[in-house]
Amino acid sequence: MKKKINWAPAFFVGPHVILFAVFILLPTIYGIYASFTKWNLMSDPVWVGFDNYKAILFDGGSTFHTQFFRGLKNTLIFVAMSVPLLIIIPLMVAVALEHKKVKMKSLIQSILYIPGLISISAAALIWLLIFNKQLGITGNLFGSQIAWPANQPYAWIIIIVITLWGGIGGNMIIYRASLSGVAQELYESAELDGAGSIKRFTSITLPSIRFPLIYTFVMTTAGAFNVFGQPLMMTDGGPRQSTHVLMMYIRQLAFGNGESIAGMASAMAVLLGLVILVISALQYYVMNRNAS
Amino acid sequence: MKKKFGVLLATVLTLSTVLAGCGGKDDSKTITFWTPLTGDDGAYMDQIVKNYNATNPEIKVKHVITADMYTKISTVLASSKGVPDLAIIHADRVPGFVKQGVLESMQDTVLPAQPELKAENYLPQAWNTGNIDGTQYTVPLDIHSNVMYYNKDLLKKYNAESFLDDNVVTIDEMLSLQGKLDEGDYVVNDALLGWVILAQIQDLGGDIQVDGKPAVNTPVFKQAFENVKKIADAGLMTPFGEDGYLMFQSQNVLFSTDGTWSSTAHAGVEGLNFGVTNVYSPTPDKFTNRSSSHLFAMLKNDKRTDEKEVGIANFLEYVRTNSMEWAKAGQNVASNVVNQSPEYKDYMQSFFTSDEKEIESLYIYTYEYYPYIAEAVDTYCADIVRGNVDIDETLATMQKFVEDKIAESSSAAK
Repeated sequence: MKKKINWAPAFFVGPHVILFAVFILLPTIYGIYASFTKWNLMSDPVWVGFDNYKAILFDGGSTFHTQFFRGLKNTLIFVAMSVPLLIIIPLMVAVALEHKKVKMKSLIQSILYIPGLISISAAALIWLLIFNKQLGITGNLFGSQIAWPANQPYAWIIIIVITLWGGIGGNMIIYRASLSGVAQELYESAELDGAGSIKRFTSITLPSIRFPLIYTFVMTTAGAFNVFGQPLMMTDGGPRQSTHVLMMYIRQLAFGNGESIAGMASAMAVLLGLVILVISALQYYVMNRNAS
Repeated sequence: MKKKFGVLLATVLTLSTVLAGCGGKDDSKTITFWTPLTGDDGAYMDQIVKNYNATNPEIKVKHVITADMYTKISTVLASSKGVPDLAIIHADRVPGFVKQGVLESMQDTVLPAQPELKAENYLPQAWNTGNIDGTQYTVPLDIHSNVMYYNKDLLKKYNAESFLDDNVVTIDEMLSLQGKLDEGDYVVNDALLGWVILAQIQDLGGDIQVDGKPAVNTPVFKQAFENVKKIADAGLMTPFGEDGYLMFQSQNVLFSTDGTWSSTAHAGVEGLNFGVTNVYSPTPDKFTNRSSSHLFAMLKNDKRTDEKEVGIANFLEYVRTNSMEWAKAGQNVASNVVNQSPEYKDYMQSFFTSDEKEIESLYIYTYEYYPYIAEAVDTYCADIVRGNVDIDETLATMQKFVEDKIAESSSAAK
């Protein structure tokens, strides 16, 4: 008897696989190929082997070396500042919203989530006006005389503020969904055993949402490495290029003011991808081992 | 199950065919025209195109405002699919595009179809910027410049109206206001500071290249930065990090060095009593308003027919004689028919075409690697002018920055 093939799953999965292959997989493979070439987008790529990588990684006098390591350093600063806050604040908010005494949970959740739907350009314009010394709330209402985008650490502060404003909602939703699945009996038993709220949080809540925590930590970190819009719009990389992150340099090289230097940009992008890959793997390994 | 799947598949295929049909309109009677005009100016260009199409031309124009146009140009040229018939590009793109062989000459195609599309009928530098080695690649739409707006009320308040007597506000005149301004008021903002620096290079008789090689780490560049730095050092420039453009509109700044295109936005500010003049200069004898130009250009496209090229010529001739609409966007219209007409005098920017000296002041850099130099200047100028970095060291860095990028892009183009 001929075996009947069920095509229905393929019909549903197929479009996604095709879109993934066309818009993610193939460009990634082509990007890796381009990183071994000199290419200006207009003419055919010229194979140069590891020249781009050598210039970026080892040629201390090269502009590309300077830009890559400056951009990477600035990106790491952003990651180190933003990721803990993007994990801890949403977790605290989600836990607080689980409390019985908190009213209008859906409204609070919506209020916190909506900023994430606003485009980064619009959000940046709003926050730039808020932080404007002459015209904004900080200057007029609070009397602040700080030129925020032009001085450190204030430039980083406004970038982090806008990142948190737009970013905490997403992780909070994930945590809330996970927290709702934690068995209430565990809390009740712990309470009977005399466990305080901190003990209950560390011994029941955190282990119960281990996988969502690992997921959000890894994904938030990877996302933070790709930061682009906030520093571009808020500080344009300044002051003194201290907020000029790697993605800004990559984009500038690929599609910047002059002729494109897409080969070099691709090499930087591949290196950034490798950094993200290594850090994500480390995070997963360490967190999973500790959780086990 | 099999039947259901068949019905589903048939539905999808039918819908795909219908949707494909929507996009399959015959485009041989349409000139696809890309512009990067994502601001208010896009609406003015839309109107010009609409007016042209209302004349019932044989081939109509479809205006497509394309955000991030240069990226998309790279993509369509690489694939040779979806290349627009006509595009507006900026003056500083022409040498690079010609070198890469992606621009179609207009010399033997479009220009013969409309004899009035010729140098004599346009502002000279706007026309010349599209001429590479004797071949005309573009027809100009405008010149848009870095200029200097002034607040009439503040000039009166600080008794500085005489600064405008010879239409050149000098750096020394600005410095004379040191210690005379109320707290929170400033002489000039830092809008388009990089463009201001590039204007100073011309004022000092210098250039950005010598024998085709970039010349950034030079005494002229140093002098230009030092001249502008004097204003910042005296506390007369709006504070770094503040929006100097908005501060001019909020009437705390005497002079704003932004673009011709800003006049419409400034005019919308209630109570702002302003005029326009040349960007400040170290000397009254020479002044420069660093400029660029929007140019009509044809990217290489084998599918563009001769018939369409004639259609493009007709459209460009229409724009030449009917582009007063473009003046509303605050730009200096390149067509002499328009910029010499009495109606044009109603527009503030007509100041810059009012005499030969003013026209000469609209300087467009045409050095092949100008974009890299502009990028270097934009990246470092604020920190140099504010004294955050050592000027000699930074000029050396800028020189290396430009040379490295040229080396990389040149070898890619070979």
